[in-house]
Amino acid sequence: MGAGNGLQLGRNPFAAGDRRICRRYGFGNSSYERGREMTRGKKTGSGNAGNLKKRWNKYLVAGMIMTGIAVMLGVTGFFWTPYSTTAMSASERFAGPSLRHIFGTDNFGRDIFSRVMQGLGTTIGVSSLVVLFSGAMGILLGAFTGYFGGVADEIVMRITDALNGFPSILLTLVIISLLGTGRQNVIISLGLVFVPGYVRIVRGEFIRLRDADYIKRARMMGAGKFRILFIHILPNIFSVFWVSVMIGFNNAILAESGMSYLGIGVQPPDASLGNMLSDAQGYLQSAPWYAMAPGLTIVWVVLGFSLFSEGIRRRAE
Amino acid sequence: MIRIENLSVAFGETEVVKNVSLDLADGEILGLVGESGSGKSVTALTLMGLAADSARITGGRILFDDVVLREAGKPCDKALYRKYQGAKMSMVFQEPQTSLNPTQRVGRQVEEMLRLHTGMTKEEIRKCVLETFEAVGLRDTERVYASYPHQLSGGMRQRIMIAMAVILHPRLLVADEPTTALDVTIQSQIIELLRRINQKQNNAMLFITHDLHLARRFCHKVAVMKDGEVVEEGPAAEVFGNPRQAYTKRLVESVPSRLDGGEKTPEPERTKEAPVLQVRDLWVYYQDGNDKLIPRTEDADAGKGFSLRNILFRNRRQFVVQDADFEIYPGESLGLVGESGCGKTSLSKAILGMNRHIQGEIVHHCLRPQMIFQDPYSSLNPSKTIGWLLQEPLRAAGALDKSAAMTKKDMETAAYDMLKRVGMEEKYFYRKPSELSGGQRQRVSIAQALITNPGFIVADEPVSALDVTIQAQIMELLLKLQQEMHLACLFISHDINVVYKMCRRIMVMKEGRIIEIGDREEIFSHPREEYTKLLLCNGEEKRDNSPENAPAVMKPGCGAYGVPQESGQGQE
Repeated sequence: MGAGNGLQLGRNPFAAGDRRICRRYGFGNSSYERGREMTRGKKTGSGNAGNLKKRWNKYLVAGMIMTGIAVMLGVTGFFWTPYSTTAMSASERFAGPSLRHIFGTDNFGRDIFSRVMQGLGTTIGVSSLVVLFSGAMGILLGAFTGYFGGVADEIVMRITDALNGFPSILLTLVIISLLGTGRQNVIISLGLVFVPGYVRIVRGEFIRLRDADYIKRARMMGAGKFRILFIHILPNIFSVFWVSVMIGFNNAILAESGMSYLGIGVQPPDASLGNMLSDAQGYLQSAPWYAMAPGLTIVWVVLGFSLFSEGIRRRAE
Repeated sequence: MIRIENLSVAFGETEVVKNVSLDLADGEILGLVGESGSGKSVTALTLMGLAADSARITGGRILFDDVVLREAGKPCDKALYRKYQGAKMSMVFQEPQTSLNPTQRVGRQVEEMLRLHTGMTKEEIRKCVLETFEAVGLRDTERVYASYPHQLSGGMRQRIMIAMAVILHPRLLVADEPTTALDVTIQSQIIELLRRINQKQNNAMLFITHDLHLARRFCHKVAVMKDGEVVEEGPAAEVFGNPRQAYTKRLVESVPSRLDGGEKTPEPERTKEAPVLQVRDLWVYYQDGNDKLIPRTEDADAGKGFSLRNILFRNRRQFVVQDADFEIYPGESLGLVGESGCGKTSLSKAILGMNRHIQGEIVHHCLRPQMIFQDPYSSLNPSKTIGWLLQEPLRAAGALDKSAAMTKKDMETAAYDMLKRVGMEEKYFYRKPSELSGGQRQRVSIAQALITNPGFIVADEPVSALDVTIQAQIMELLLKLQQEMHLACLFISHDINVVYKMCRRIMVMKEGRIIEIGDREEIFSHPREEYTKLLLCNGEEKRDNSPENAPAVMKPGCGAYGVPQESGQGQE
């Protein structure tokens, strides 16, 4: 179920995203950008009404609503849950969904909704930190290697190739076995595994833009190297980078759930969507709601983010 | 023969062609001129049945020998069109690079026309293709036949395209900017070829171009289009010599013309002032491998001896600019003309310090020379506002030299001032480049280059990507600013007429060497080099125009159409 999914996607977290971005944005194809600029220039000429229409599309709205609900529940789960997430109750074991417990209770009589809220908080928190870490590393490494090229570029790219050569679930397992389980180790290992994907995307964009006329011109003005890298070029790769961040976020959610499912992620008694799924495995027949609650939550979050990123991509086009 | 009656074409709600009526008889060349977006190409593509499916005909019809090809409200009859396309009407496109299939030998691609439309045997087809190749002025036809498109030069590829278009002797030939992507000298050969084909086969030709000189030289009749409408139509000499409509007049006047004389900029006083740029004995090269400098004498001798050094370093560097030697004085602009690949861009890069692979001496007497780029769509950072872009050079200058640093308020004032000087309103200050038109972008581009008052700029084809009327405005602006700011300028262009208008002194480059440098009038009236004459000839215009007495650039009498032949050696 969720875990199998996580494993598969975990194999190469950027496989799908990479290709999609390449196709849409055409690395190294400057005529594409020119075309995009031209059409954009024509469209926006009509005024603000057209802009507003372009700014909102149904993917974006649906995605924002779905992720909004999930993030709200998750953030609330950090501070407050309707019931204690660890309080057991022998009398209420395997209670079905009811008004008292909307998602029912588990084998220890704990409220599943409360645990889902906490798990959601953990999952979203871990994924955000993973994406933040790998995204920041990706921008730094990608920007320098892409813009300057040379030996450093060669070395970094060979290392990323080597990292890509391993199935990423294997790599995370190796890192986890070195560092031990636990929340921050999950963040570190997933963060490291996700870095190559971002480096590659950012590097490609920097290579594409470093020879653009406006960058040549900035060089002629005497703008400093860092200024060119982060003020002149970086804002222009934002739309491409943002899409890959969104895809990366989804992959991080699935990977984190997968790891918790395997028991190498967040440890009990803390709730996480993945370890709830693995606990629920034994009760699929007797208490199907136990597995359904975390499973559907993962689907909800991932779908919401996919719609959100698709909406953003469409808006950018 | 061809009649277009009140044709209107719309994409969605917007009509791009409005009520266009054109007549075309056998043996007639009709020029369709206008600025970009005026609906020329859509008209031609609709006529050919090649317009996108989203293009709807909202009015009128197209007749070919009284057979209705297209009519308003009816979908395109693909089966009917197939009988006409290729056999009775064919088209030559602008980009010979993209209109040939790169994975197939060109011979096969041309053969396809015969295989689809005739019942000839293989041998006959082959013979016919080779004959046509010969006729369009390709030499060494067997070799060309077996070549792939990337092995041929642009001119040769365009000849292949023309061969493909004329091999079935179509009665209508549509040429959509067939020479725009080519160098000027090749351009005139292709035009000459088309003219001969027209005379020999007596087919009608619809010639689409934005180049008014070309239309004047080449076409019998001309239709001027604007915003999807034909504003004026008539014999070429009449339309251009005596335009009736205000728009046509403006268009004709916008075209830089040598007959109007160049701009009367005051002669810079060379004796009094020191040159702003001195280039002494400059060689620019590209080198693979290390950046170690080898004295040139050694390199020049390479290939003579058999010393280890010669074997190691031979062929490792390619000189793209050789022995350049000139200076530019304050307030003057020096025109640089030459074909693509002759080293213009390499020279300008070296002058701006963007290419370190140089030998010789470049002395600037100004701070940070700036550059105006050709393509206004890629020379402005799309993520910034105009105001930010204009202030950036000041910020950069301030960061480099603390004494030149300005306060935020001063920079903003300077940016507003510069915006006004290039003729733009203040409201654009907070706009992004994507909201501006090509001409406006080029204005901002100029403003950005000049805001630090650099004293010397390199303008690399600054008006080539613009429409003629915009072109005239930008040239006006450049001349005005040049006088105001006492600005020296290296003006690079392939358009000899633009250079004539902008510059007092002109430099001609060929294959990396400066073959001629001198005063505008002198070069234009008494060109010393054969190559210069050829270049001048292409920009030539005649007021008493008629296609018959247009200049024959090359000696006729080689191919079947009497066109000069292009050698089969061309390798890209």
